[in-house]
Amino acid sequence: MISISLLHWLLYGGAISLIVIGIIGVVTLNNIFRIVLAIAIAEAGANLLLVIAGYRFDAVAPIFTSGISIDQSMVDPVPQAMVLTAIVIGVGIQALALALAVRVYQHYKTLDIREIHHLMMSDIDQQYNVKSLLSPGEVAGERPTPENGLNSTQGSEGQA
Amino acid sequence: MNSIALNIALPLLTAFLLPIMSPHVSSFGRWIGPLVLAAMLLFSFQHFQALDAPEMVALGGFLPPMGISFHIDHLALLMLMAIPLLLLMMWPYGKTKSREEALMLLLAAAASGMALSGDLFNIYVFYELLSVASFGLAAANRTAGAFAASFRYVVISSLGTVLALTGIALIYTQTGTLNLAHIGALANQLQNPVSYTAFTLIVIGVGVKAELFPVNSWVPEVYATATARVTAIFAGLVSKLAVLVIVRMLVVAYGGSDVMNILLVLGMLGILTGELAAWRAQDLRRMFAFSSIGQLGMVLVAFSIPGKAGIIAGIAMMFHHLLVKPALFLFTDQWSGNLNRLSGIGKKSPMAVALFLLFALSLIGIPPLPGFWAKLLLVTGLVGTASPLYLTALFVLLTATVIETHYLMRVAKVMIAGEQKSSPSRFLELGILNITLISIFAAGLVLIVLNLTSVSDQLALIADETSNRMLYIGTSYPELTNTLGVK
Repeated sequence: MISISLLHWLLYGGAISLIVIGIIGVVTLNNIFRIVLAIAIAEAGANLLLVIAGYRFDAVAPIFTSGISIDQSMVDPVPQAMVLTAIVIGVGIQALALALAVRVYQHYKTLDIREIHHLMMSDIDQQYNVKSLLSPGEVAGERPTPENGLNSTQGSEGQA
Repeated sequence: MNSIALNIALPLLTAFLLPIMSPHVSSFGRWIGPLVLAAMLLFSFQHFQALDAPEMVALGGFLPPMGISFHIDHLALLMLMAIPLLLLMMWPYGKTKSREEALMLLLAAAASGMALSGDLFNIYVFYELLSVASFGLAAANRTAGAFAASFRYVVISSLGTVLALTGIALIYTQTGTLNLAHIGALANQLQNPVSYTAFTLIVIGVGVKAELFPVNSWVPEVYATATARVTAIFAGLVSKLAVLVIVRMLVVAYGGSDVMNILLVLGMLGILTGELAAWRAQDLRRMFAFSSIGQLGMVLVAFSIPGKAGIIAGIAMMFHHLLVKPALFLFTDQWSGNLNRLSGIGKKSPMAVALFLLFALSLIGIPPLPGFWAKLLLVTGLVGTASPLYLTALFVLLTATVIETHYLMRVAKVMIAGEQKSSPSRFLELGILNITLISIFAAGLVLIVLNLTSVSDQLALIADETSNRMLYIGTSYPELTNTLGVK
């Protein structure tokens, strides 16, 4: 049997790894639905961290019932109430993100975030009638993908 | 119960009623929205007049540390007046879009809540509400670009809120409370790596809205695709509320600790990247978007100066940016597109260009305009610290000012000395409403110049109050001082 403190650190480690997995997912994934799922994973990690912050191994649920004496220690209920709120907020934001993702797909016919970013930037450049800012020093810190590179070289050849 | 809670309840209620009512009563949204905002302005103005010392309102009568409390001081009330005032000016008059109106009111409610709240989790909830309202407003243009930009904004923002929530959870593990004043009273438990991590996470999380350096890639995209009014609200108002949260954390819970340096470095990087990108920009809208990243970097650098000097400089920079940037974004309503389009516009509409120059010069910091005094406070504050890192920040600030001067004067040169285009410049006319709004901002700027002494006295008082950590704790955690603050 593993000791309580080890279990405690295991739980903390698990929650923090969930957050890290989520963040890595958002940064590296290309598909917008996967990005939304990665956000959900990161949020689950944050919520878990909050619950663990108020958890005690030797305590009971914070509800007074007949079998529980007044001097028995209880789990801290505040983080649990907060996590409920945070879950609801998270669901709302994810629904909104998915609604926007559907809209984006309707307009650009792709789910690849880098392609969408590229199309959006060229849309903006066209709207403002300026030369592409996506040339050498890219602003938003995107990595050039094969498709992007191919498109831009084709574009410049076409202009030439 | 204090009537200041109406500043949150009233717009929130109206925001939910609007989509239900407006199909039946078509003119409902047109008058109820401005009316509610005017009422909010009135309430907060009355409070500002009547307030001598900071007050605490315990919601539902539950005193801290058990209940959620609102901390009312002059800075919060100043913000509370700025919210309805700016939204009234940026209200979509003449367009019947009940959705946009409801989102604006939601934004007003969430923003007021954020300015008042003295509880970390409550701030988180209002911050999320503010986020949802701003996502909707960012996408309100309903173009493909606007949807894509808002999606990326949602992704960055929800990542930020996850980080902020993690930070809040870490603070809870360290102190066992979420009341800001209670956390402040336990501040000596926060001098450890875990708490510093928590602060950094919260700053980066909230910093998404404050256009903080590593999490601001949404700014140019959203500002380029949203309407000029929405852009003005984001740059002017939403960013300032995020800064306000950082300031409260810094003053109350982390006063004088090492975390100041994190803010300083992030602010410096924000100034450099923002101003350099603005220098490269080829259109007015994105130039101002990048320049507001730089300006907010300056605000954060100001707040990272320890003591009262930093607070006073920060508040001055903050409200100066709140006054100037929305007006500049209003110009981009018609003057967007390639800068060459504006060539020779000075001969066609000299008044508009003169107003533009007034704001541009104040942004750079040319005396006697308010921008100069704000920057002067920042420079003297930085010099006063006499530490190498802060002097580096001073160097960065002055370099940024040179860059700022160069690109704004480049625009001015195109406008005034450029050849007049023969193409129809009918599209470049700003319209009566925009000119009126810009003139109101300009009048505000001139009024500040004329009443400089009284404004600076007021500012010093507010900074005194804001930087007083014990005053905040004593007001919002009455058990420490044995005064019952229930109103």
